[in-house]
Amino acid sequence: MYKEKDISIDFLGIHLDSPFVLSASPVTDEMEMAYNGLKEGWAGVILKTTSIEENVVNLKNPMMSSFGSMSEKVVGLGNIDLISKYHINDIEERVRYLKKEFPSKMIAASIMGAKKGDWQSLVLRLKKAGTDLIECSFSCPQGSMGEEVGKMLAQSIEATEKVTTWVKEAADKIPILIKITPQVTDIVEVARAVKRGGADGITASNTIPSLLGIDINTFEPYPTLFGVSSYSGLSGYAIKPITLRTIAEIAKNVDIVISGNGGAFSWQDAVEFMALGASNVQFCTLPMHYGFRTIRDLKSGLAHYLEEMGFDNPLDIVGKALDKIKANEDLPELLARSEIDTEKCIGCGLCYVACRDGGHMAIQWESEKRKPSVDEDKCTGCSMCMQVCPVDAIKMREKLDDSIHYFIEKR
Amino acid sequence: MEETGKPLGRVEALLEAERCLYCFDAPCEKVCPANVPIPEFIHSIKTNNLQGAREIIEVAHPLIETCGRLCPEESFCQSACARVKIDSPIKIRELHRYVTDNTEPSRNLIIPVRNKGRVAIVGGGPAGLSCARELGRLGFETVIFEKKELGGIPMQQVSNVRFPEEIGKREVRFVNDNFVTEVKDKKIQSVKDIGNGFDAIFIATGLQGELDLDVKGTNLKGIYNASELLKLARASIKTPVGRRVGVIGGGNVAVEVATVLKQENSERDVELVYRRSLKELKAFKDEIDEAVNVGVTMQFLAIPVEIKGTDSVTGIVVRRSRLSKPDASGRRNFEEISDSDFFIPFDTIVIAIGQKLADYFPEIEKTERGLIKIDDNLMTSQRGVFAGGDIVRGASTIVESVADGKKAASSISNFSNGGENV
Repeated sequence: MYKEKDISIDFLGIHLDSPFVLSASPVTDEMEMAYNGLKEGWAGVILKTTSIEENVVNLKNPMMSSFGSMSEKVVGLGNIDLISKYHINDIEERVRYLKKEFPSKMIAASIMGAKKGDWQSLVLRLKKAGTDLIECSFSCPQGSMGEEVGKMLAQSIEATEKVTTWVKEAADKIPILIKITPQVTDIVEVARAVKRGGADGITASNTIPSLLGIDINTFEPYPTLFGVSSYSGLSGYAIKPITLRTIAEIAKNVDIVISGNGGAFSWQDAVEFMALGASNVQFCTLPMHYGFRTIRDLKSGLAHYLEEMGFDNPLDIVGKALDKIKANEDLPELLARSEIDTEKCIGCGLCYVACRDGGHMAIQWESEKRKPSVDEDKCTGCSMCMQVCPVDAIKMREKLDDSIHYFIEKR
Repeated sequence: MEETGKPLGRVEALLEAERCLYCFDAPCEKVCPANVPIPEFIHSIKTNNLQGAREIIEVAHPLIETCGRLCPEESFCQSACARVKIDSPIKIRELHRYVTDNTEPSRNLIIPVRNKGRVAIVGGGPAGLSCARELGRLGFETVIFEKKELGGIPMQQVSNVRFPEEIGKREVRFVNDNFVTEVKDKKIQSVKDIGNGFDAIFIATGLQGELDLDVKGTNLKGIYNASELLKLARASIKTPVGRRVGVIGGGNVAVEVATVLKQENSERDVELVYRRSLKELKAFKDEIDEAVNVGVTMQFLAIPVEIKGTDSVTGIVVRRSRLSKPDASGRRNFEEISDSDFFIPFDTIVIAIGQKLADYFPEIEKTERGLIKIDDNLMTSQRGVFAGGDIVRGASTIVESVADGKKAASSISNFSNGGENV
């Protein structure tokens, strides 16, 4: 009934009908699931990380755990998952089959090896099977093969560069993405190593090492496997801010294509990833939670947004926000004051109590009228009040020289 | 019969608690006559600290089981909920009940030494019990004078379905065991009857007996008072009413008794006969909803003129009324329409037009309505004699009586610090 806006992009020479692909994760671990995801409209799949036939994968279950409130149960999803139990022989076949069924979709695979021979044979076999792209997991939170126990490849600059070189050498013209972890001292150094190694792009970033919780009656950690557990990789909405920073840091400092991954839960999140420099966005926890059908709103939301903003192509967004991110010392010193919209205010008093005990005691409270008001002499413009207002009735009025600017956070 | 009002399960309770904005200086708490710190206890629900939540309510409110079930929240806390301005109010009473249903009274009570004085409390209903609890906390000995079972109206006139007997008894017992020195089964009709040895007196007798319907035919067989039927129903004794019952009245008790009689036998027709319209009905919304749900029918704008019958009731003649000008409170009055009498066949008539004032305490000044007159501290015309609850307010709510009991205790404590005896 409606004309569909073209939101296709070129990603490392591959045509994607939208910037949204399914990441190497449980959503692409079964052949039928990858098939269903593509059928539902995702632009591509990166099949869950595979390894050579000799590698034994002992998955432990239950592997999932999450945290959140009752109304938002899965704010963050944790897993003690490992790479796929399916080896390269299966994945080769799947790539062939999917490529045949979906010639216009991106069919990619993710790999992990222990030594040079493994990495290169995995690449060569996938190349032969007709893969569009290969992603290399340098960052499984349970640790990389061939490294010290629990250590990730991407936590070592030298190893990252060396293995990237091996992989690219075997891949030749097939684009290579290196999937990194944000759990490093200097993400820029890692990205530079990826670049030096010759990779085409970087996937920023993997799940984050974490512990989802402890049962306070039994002291058993989550997820509980007969009373014990291990650290989880954290994904989901909770890690979005960390991914945003990771993408921004890489984009600002290294000239490399970025595939955004980790915490995007909507088309808006995806736009943010892209505005900071990601060229496409991978999804895992969103479809894990709500299914492949979520692609429909991602595509429609993005299309409407582009239309409204007057952009022709999704790639027009890429990097739009980057030059606005500065070092703290380079930020302007301005006069900011809280401004309360009394029409919108519902008189809950949360801004008052937050300012009184967590700000600068700059909001006054008229108990009878249930009305907050800002003491402009005391207000430092910290914006804590704006964070807690349940109805978005507070904005920050900023003054620099003679101009006024408003900071309004939209939900 | 199953208790009505589905209690919230854990998931529902947490979802509802998460909706609470945790307002500062919260409007719900301010309009609650007992000043229950509502956002605080709801916050404790959110953190799974149910015992802590119970303590928060219990400190403010001596009858938490009762009010968790019977408080007309739409008249108090819920009406002020700031969340209304976003979507809908928090189900505060249901959360309150979630706390009381899932916790036990605290075993860590501090019972102070009772050396501050001795207070007589006339009446063991919500006002009297609340006063006793507060005075007990403040270190007073309390003697409650009560001829009937402790607990008052909630224990006598509310159906077992809405307020189970054992829960009410447990709550009354908890207050009595921990905070009341003695209960005396003695009829008190004047201050003199109380005797000596008290530092202060709190009168909380409530209203006494039922008003009579002033029409012909009230001597026929098949006419009952609402309270006697409610008492039977509470004791799970079958009521003697027939198959077609007319309930005359327009208050909580009328709605309650109609509901109870319909629930007792769904084959029975139960019709409320009321002079004004649904809007003027002085009953709480959830009680009216309940009545409608069980199948009670309502005849509005109908003034009883005469009960017909030879030996037993055969029906009632009513006159059509129309709504007229509103009174000071905005509630509309009614006037008769001439030549509009009509007959409704009934085999039973239940009178529920309200309770009357007893002519007790002649030495104490009364208001024009015959209620006991009090000052801002609930002190009557006689020094050291305080009063609260329905005897000063007329028919009111449990939580308002609780509030009076609390306030009287604080006034009595202040008064007693002045070192005066009655």
